[in-house]
Amino acid sequence: MEPEIAVSVEHLSKKYLIGKQKSDSLRGTLTSLFLAKPKDTAEEFWALKDVNFKIKKGDVVGIVGRNGAGKSTLLKLLSQITKPTEGVIRINGRVSSLLEVGTGFHHELTGRENIYLNGTILGMTREEVKLKFDEIVAFSGINDFIDTPVKYYSSGMYVRLAFAVAAHLEPEILIIDEVLAVGDADFQKKCLGKMQDVAEQGRTVLFVSHDIEAVQALCNKGILMEKGQIKEIGSIHDVLHTYSNVSGHATKVWDENSRPGDHVVKLNEVRLINTEKHPIQRADLDEEVGIEIIYEVFKDNSYPTPNFHVYSSTNVLCFILILDEQIHQKGTYRCIGWIPKNTLNNITYHIGVAITTLKSMKVHLDIKDAVSIDMVESKIQRDMSYGGHIPGLMRINFNSEITKL
Amino acid sequence: MSTKIIDSKKRSILPDFREIVRYKDLFWTLAWRDFKVRYAQTTIGLIWALIQPIITILILSLVFGKFVGVKTNVPHLVYTVSGVSLWSYFSYVLSNSGSSIITNQEMVKKIYFPRLIIPLSKAIVGLIDFGITLVILIVLMCYYHVVPSSTIWFAPLFILIGVLAALGVGIWLSALTVRYRDFQHVVPFIVQVGMYITPIAYPAEFATKQLPEWAADIYFLNPMAGVIQGFRWSLFGGDPPGMFFVISVVMVLFIFISGLFYFQKVEAEMADYV
Repeated sequence: MEPEIAVSVEHLSKKYLIGKQKSDSLRGTLTSLFLAKPKDTAEEFWALKDVNFKIKKGDVVGIVGRNGAGKSTLLKLLSQITKPTEGVIRINGRVSSLLEVGTGFHHELTGRENIYLNGTILGMTREEVKLKFDEIVAFSGINDFIDTPVKYYSSGMYVRLAFAVAAHLEPEILIIDEVLAVGDADFQKKCLGKMQDVAEQGRTVLFVSHDIEAVQALCNKGILMEKGQIKEIGSIHDVLHTYSNVSGHATKVWDENSRPGDHVVKLNEVRLINTEKHPIQRADLDEEVGIEIIYEVFKDNSYPTPNFHVYSSTNVLCFILILDEQIHQKGTYRCIGWIPKNTLNNITYHIGVAITTLKSMKVHLDIKDAVSIDMVESKIQRDMSYGGHIPGLMRINFNSEITKL
Repeated sequence: MSTKIIDSKKRSILPDFREIVRYKDLFWTLAWRDFKVRYAQTTIGLIWALIQPIITILILSLVFGKFVGVKTNVPHLVYTVSGVSLWSYFSYVLSNSGSSIITNQEMVKKIYFPRLIIPLSKAIVGLIDFGITLVILIVLMCYYHVVPSSTIWFAPLFILIGVLAALGVGIWLSALTVRYRDFQHVVPFIVQVGMYITPIAYPAEFATKQLPEWAADIYFLNPMAGVIQGFRWSLFGGDPPGMFFVISVVMVLFIFISGLFYFQKVEAEMADYV
C-alpha cells in the first residue's frame, strides 16, 4: 500500500437482514381504502454496495448524502464496529472514531471518573488521560463540578465534558459522525476550531454531517453517497454543488400532457415548503413542513379530496393526511397540508400524493414517492442527558407528568 | 507505521489475545466502573457485599447442618462457607456476564474494542466478593480452631479452575444472549437450580451415594461440583479428589475453550444484533 494513502477501501459491501414486516389489520384496511398496495418488504438490505475509494494522508473528507445513503454504515465499517459482508479496508495509522460523544459515560460516576472511563474507551491509556487531564477539564469549562456525579449535570455540561475528552484524542486518522449537532452554538464553534487544529496538524479526518456550512468550512475533499453507493468523490466544492442539486426530489412538476389523473382531476405540481412558502428539501424537527399541490378540476360540483401518504425511508406507512371534503368547480386549485412540527423524527420521509372521491371510493390519481424530505435535528433542544439518535418512525411532542405519591 | 487490514473473507477462529492485552487499560477501567457503581446510592454501600453471603451461609447451615443433619469433617458452618465462597463467585459472574453485552450495547454500537473484555471484566469484579467470603472463612476457621490441611497449597489451583469455569459459562452466556434474549431468563434459573445440585452445604458423596452410578457421573458434569469438592479437600483434607474431579475439570476446559470459539464467531456481528 502506498505510504501516502491513509485509508483505502475496495469493493466494500454491507448486507443487513431485515425481518419481514407483518401487515397489521389497521394498515391493511387503510391501504386498501386508498388502493395503495403495501410494498413487498425485502429480507436483504444492502446498506453499502461495492464502495471503492482512497483517502490521502492529511485530507479532511466530508461525507454527505441523504438519510439512509449509507454514511453511518461506512463509518461503522471503518471504525471496525461491525464487519463488512464483502470487500477489504486498509488503514494506515492509528484510528479514533467518534460516532457519539460520551460513549460509556456512567451517570453515577463523577466528571473526573468519567474522563478516565471515556478516555480509555476511546482508546487512550490511563497514562495518556492523566497527562491531558488538566487540559480536558479546562476545555470543558466545568472545573467546579469535576467531582460531582454527571447525573447532576445539565445536558449542556454533559456534552461539553464528553466532547472535551474526544477533542483530546491524538489519532492519525479521526472518524466523526454528526457529533457536532449537540451543544450550544458557542461550544460548537469551539469544537469546530479544535477540529480545524487537528486537520492543520496534517491528520486525516473523515467527517459526516448534515451541517453543510461546517462541512464546507472544514473539509477539502468530499464524498457524496446515495443508496449505499458513492455518487461522487472529489473536491468539497464540487461534491456539495452536486449534493445541493439532487434536490429535485423535493419538487415535482408535470407538463400538460404527462400530468397524472383522470377526467375529473389532474395533478400539476407537488412541492414541499416551509412556513414562508419557500420550497425546501430539508427541515428541522421543530419546523412545520407543508405539502403543497396544484391540481386542475374538470368537473363541476365534484368532491376530489387530496390525501398525503407519509412513508419512512424503510417504506413503512407512518400516517396519512386526508383533507376535508370540499365541493370543487372547474378550475385550478392549490392545496397545502401542514405536517405539524415535532411530529417527524430525524430520518428521510417519502411522501405520496393521491386524490380520491371518498363517497364513491374513486381514486383519481395515486403518486407513490412523489417527493421526499430529510428531517434533521441541527440543534439538540431536548432537556435530557441523552444526545444521541432517538429511534422510531416518528417523534411526537407529548405532555407528561411525574407525581410523587 | 502499521497497516490494519479488514478483509471480509478472512476471519480468525480464536480471539486475538494480543489485542486484548493492548486494551488492558479499558479492561481495568470497566471492572473498576462496575465495582464503583454497584453500591452507588445505597446507604450502607459495601456492607451489602458482606450481608448477602452471611445470610446465605446462615440459612444453608441451618437447613443442611441442623434440619437435615449432614455430617462433615469440620464444623458445618465452616464447611458451608468454603462452598458458598466459590459458588457465590460463580453465580455472580454468570448473572452479570450473561446480560453484560446487552447492558453495554450503547458502547458496543458506537466504538470498537475487543468485546471479550466485557465478560472478562465481570470475572474480575466477582473476585472482590470472593475475597470477602474468604475473609469470613478465615475468621470462622480461627474461631473454630480449624487447622488447615497440608494440602492448602493446592487451593489456588482450585480457585483458578473455578475462575475458568465461571468465565467459560459467562462467555457462552454473554454471546448467546446477544442473539437469543431468552437466555436472560435462563440465567437466574441456572443459578437457582445450581445452588441445590452443587455440593455447597453438603459433601458430594452425600448426594452421589444415594444415586445410581450413572447418575453420579452426571452429577459431576456440573463443573462446580468437582471444583468445590477439590477446594474443600485442599482446605480441610480428607479423601483426595478422584475420577469425578477429572470429569469436572474436563468439562471446565471444554466449556471455556468452546466458549472462546463461539464468542469469536459471534463477535463480528454483535453490533448488528444488540
